[in-house]
Amino acid sequence: MLSRALLSAQQSRALALLGSRATATSASHAAASQTNEGDLPEFRRRVREEPGKVRMGFIPEEWFQFFYNKTGVTGPYTFAFTLSTYLVSKEIYVLEHEFYNGISLAIICVAGVKIFGPKVAAALDREVDEFEKSWVQNRQNQKDYCSEGIELEKKLQSSMEAQNMLIQAKRENVALQLEANYRQRLMTVFNEVKKRLEYQTEKQNIERRIAQKNLVEWVVAKVKASITPDQEKQNIDRCIADLANLSKA
Amino acid sequence: MGFGDYPVEYNPQKHGPYDPARFYGKQDIPLAQVKLGELGAWFGRRNKSPNAMVAAISRAFWRWQHKYVQPKRVGVAPFFQVVVGSSILFYILNYDRITSHRNYKYH
Repeated sequence: MLSRALLSAQQSRALALLGSRATATSASHAAASQTNEGDLPEFRRRVREEPGKVRMGFIPEEWFQFFYNKTGVTGPYTFAFTLSTYLVSKEIYVLEHEFYNGISLAIICVAGVKIFGPKVAAALDREVDEFEKSWVQNRQNQKDYCSEGIELEKKLQSSMEAQNMLIQAKRENVALQLEANYRQRLMTVFNEVKKRLEYQTEKQNIERRIAQKNLVEWVVAKVKASITPDQEKQNIDRCIADLANLSKA
Repeated sequence: MGFGDYPVEYNPQKHGPYDPARFYGKQDIPLAQVKLGELGAWFGRRNKSPNAMVAAISRAFWRWQHKYVQPKRVGVAPFFQVVVGSSILFYILNYDRITSHRNYKYH
């Protein structure tokens, strides 16, 4: 049980170490990126642009602005008109069959854009929004997942502390058990010693009693042996005399 | 610089995420601000290797992409630009054949 406690303590320490290391790396990474972006003017992160402004569907606004300073608002149109007049009149631009084909194609294209454009744009924008929303949602889900993981980790760590308390209690319990066992063994030793001592005293008493009995028997035997018949006779006489005295009295 | 590699001057630590529309070499003054007398020197400083030319075209392509194709809500402009640009290109390529359709002898 103690070894298990040690193991869990090691685990908790390892987890704490892991946590500190993870935070340390992320912090250092954040610091590095900050210094990179802050200090170096060459460090640039591309941001998504707004679509470039165009006139007549496709001609960049900048081309008109290029004319604007020199010629005013009508400049670019004048330039385009005069240039096309020159090209057509000199037949540098040849008005062959492809030109009229192109005009009809352009009319179809423009009409299509004018008629279907808004609907298609709305549908595509909706799709773009949904796509973006799905990515944002995915990102948010990932964030939630990570924060949930962090919460769970914190909870696990706090429960690990509770485990430590539990282990403390278990240790105390073991100590109590050991103490009880120790006392029980002490009691056993005491009882055993007492039993042996009682045996010894009993043995001594018995030996003494036997010795006394033997001595008494021996002394009685000797005394009996030493009594002569005269003495016995005298004794009996004396007894009879005593009895006589007693009867007299 | 091998095929498909980043430009030699590109350093992720220094420049950040790679931007295909950006020139990572030493910046020169823009062509629009060059004085006429210094135009020769300016052209002399240009790198005229085929690699550099392809890289310049690639950067221009990506600039156009970032401006007209990659934004979040693009219009129909890039499609028309491609159509008009390609028709001009093929007009130029076929110019010799087209001129035989001229209607007038004297201009």
